[in-house]
Amino acid sequence: MKLLYSIYKEYKVLIRDRAGLAITFIMPTILVLIITLIQDTTFRSVNENAITLLLVDRDHDSLSVQMERALNTTRFFEITKKNLSNEEAREQVAAGKYIIGIIVPEHTSEQLRKRSGDKVATLMASISGDSTQAVTTDTSKLPLQLYFDPITKKTFQSIISNSLERILSQLEMQNMVTALNANMKESFPLANPKPLEMQPLVSIREEYASPHNSSIIPNSVQHNVPAWSMFAMFFICIPLAGNIIREREDGSAFRLLTMPGSYMYVILGKMLTYVIVSLLQFTLMMAMGIYILPMLGLPQLNVGDHVFSLFVVALASGLAATGFGLLVGTVSTSHDQASLFGAVFVIMLAAIGGVWVPTFVMPEVMRKLSGISPLNWGLEAFYGIFLRNAGLKAVLPQVLKLFGFFLACLAGAFYYQKYRRLK
Amino acid sequence: MSYIPLLVDIKNISKSYKDAPYPAVDHLSFSLSKGDIFGLLGPNGAGKTTLISMLCGLFKPSAGEIYINGFNMQSHPNQCKQVIGVVPQEIALYPKLTAWENLLFLGHMYGLSGDALRDKIKLNLQILGLEANMHQKIQSYSGGMKRRVNLIAGLLHDPQLLILDEPTVGVDIQSKQAIIDHLKKLNRERGMTILYTSHHLDEAEDFCTHIAIIDTGKLITQGATRELISQYNCKSIEEVYLKITGQKFRDK
Repeated sequence: MKLLYSIYKEYKVLIRDRAGLAITFIMPTILVLIITLIQDTTFRSVNENAITLLLVDRDHDSLSVQMERALNTTRFFEITKKNLSNEEAREQVAAGKYIIGIIVPEHTSEQLRKRSGDKVATLMASISGDSTQAVTTDTSKLPLQLYFDPITKKTFQSIISNSLERILSQLEMQNMVTALNANMKESFPLANPKPLEMQPLVSIREEYASPHNSSIIPNSVQHNVPAWSMFAMFFICIPLAGNIIREREDGSAFRLLTMPGSYMYVILGKMLTYVIVSLLQFTLMMAMGIYILPMLGLPQLNVGDHVFSLFVVALASGLAATGFGLLVGTVSTSHDQASLFGAVFVIMLAAIGGVWVPTFVMPEVMRKLSGISPLNWGLEAFYGIFLRNAGLKAVLPQVLKLFGFFLACLAGAFYYQKYRRLK
Repeated sequence: MSYIPLLVDIKNISKSYKDAPYPAVDHLSFSLSKGDIFGLLGPNGAGKTTLISMLCGLFKPSAGEIYINGFNMQSHPNQCKQVIGVVPQEIALYPKLTAWENLLFLGHMYGLSGDALRDKIKLNLQILGLEANMHQKIQSYSGGMKRRVNLIAGLLHDPQLLILDEPTVGVDIQSKQAIIDHLKKLNRERGMTILYTSHHLDEAEDFCTHIAIIDTGKLITQGATRELISQYNCKSIEEVYLKITGQKFRDK
């Protein structure tokens, strides 16, 4: 009964504090919305934006057609075909209009076919011993010009060059096989040789190493919704600490401490109320990711299949945040001190923990350092559930860390309070 | 002569704060019999708040012992706290809750519930003239009204010992009179023991049966109010007080 009334009292106090409600629910929601919208372009450029490619096709033959088809198949490129000079193409790439420029000179396909045919003819001549059939092959390389935007990295350039080389090798091989088949038919008309077919002998299977081969690519929503939910949950330490300090300043804590055993219920009531509030915050943020953000053209939040694990992580995060608020409220001597200390500390933990900038783009040192932040533990657990479709067992280490942090904060608050009373 | 049992027995208690040059309470001893109205007077920094905090079990004494209703505060804090009702100097209420909601919450924290609690709240609000405003938020109350609700909050569990820290500070004369009259009635009718601190010395003289004056943590004098006045050959407690504590300012 004492606990129920303590929760009821906290609920009444909270519900009548409009400014507090705004800080608790509206501000984090707006924050998620703004940050997700701002970061969406950045995340898209990392994840799913097509690479702009300028194709100057002077060949208009099989090479350029097949190359374009191969590039389109990858879905990585947004191809624009233009009739430009080399210098004009270079300028447009240099200006950042395109990331890559490819110039296929005229007669390249024809040259490729001719050289492939010559190679096959020379080969057949060497087999038959008829040196008159041998053809002098032009061994100079066919010039295919590539331009890269100066902002692109060397690794990116290598990947593109290698991919193009692979496409060209395939085409070259295809031409040679065609020439060889024609030559074989001509050389051995009675044998009627079966044409050589070019089929890949090795196939590469690509899978995501998640239990259900789930292939969710992290996007701005997938990062920002859980990240800012963690931030909002931890920001609850400010109203909670303020609540504790107010009770201490107005003598309520004094009165409650003089009641036999009641202060424990008051603290427990506060904690449970604020844990419920943090779970409501979390639910609101999730709902926003699922229903509101897609209306604004952002990707929909995919929460995975493990709703119970999600609840456990949210609960552990709420407990950790509430424990932290309790500690801040106990240690701080004034409301201003609690607000400043709480805000600065949460912002620092958020920055370290990868809320503002995801850890995967952080330098190695900061990535290692992020492991000390409780916000990072929660965030990693949410990533696990959202992106790797992880169950409770997989996120248990993070949940235990959060719970341990909660217990450490409680112990800290208890011993500090005891120390202050004995001082 | 009939035997009146002791309700509070303070034996040689001291309290020293870390980094403080002098002890806040220095080897202080006195006792309260059941039914006493005991005025604890002293200038600012005399050690009254520290003494009350130790009496309520909030601070542990550096030395000495406190017995309430026969129980040692150190070893049996809950039994001692069960007997005590506290009315702090601050308005220890939740401004955004109504008087009714505040008292209902505090009543539950004292372990009360149901109709018994509701009836008690209603009766106290009625006696102190607050029944009509009981569903208004405390933040809309006047200073006097807040003080009266603050007093009711300390009385809900019918304590044997009521500790009042300046209960009439900053209130209008009508509220002050209502509070004092109600406390006198509780003492007369229920035999409630009252420990009271105040800087209103005329109020203390009128209200208290016994008075103790403390300064710099030490007990300077104590006794029945009338006896103290005649003992120091003064006309009032205020004169006794000034005679003992001097005219110097006590700002820290």
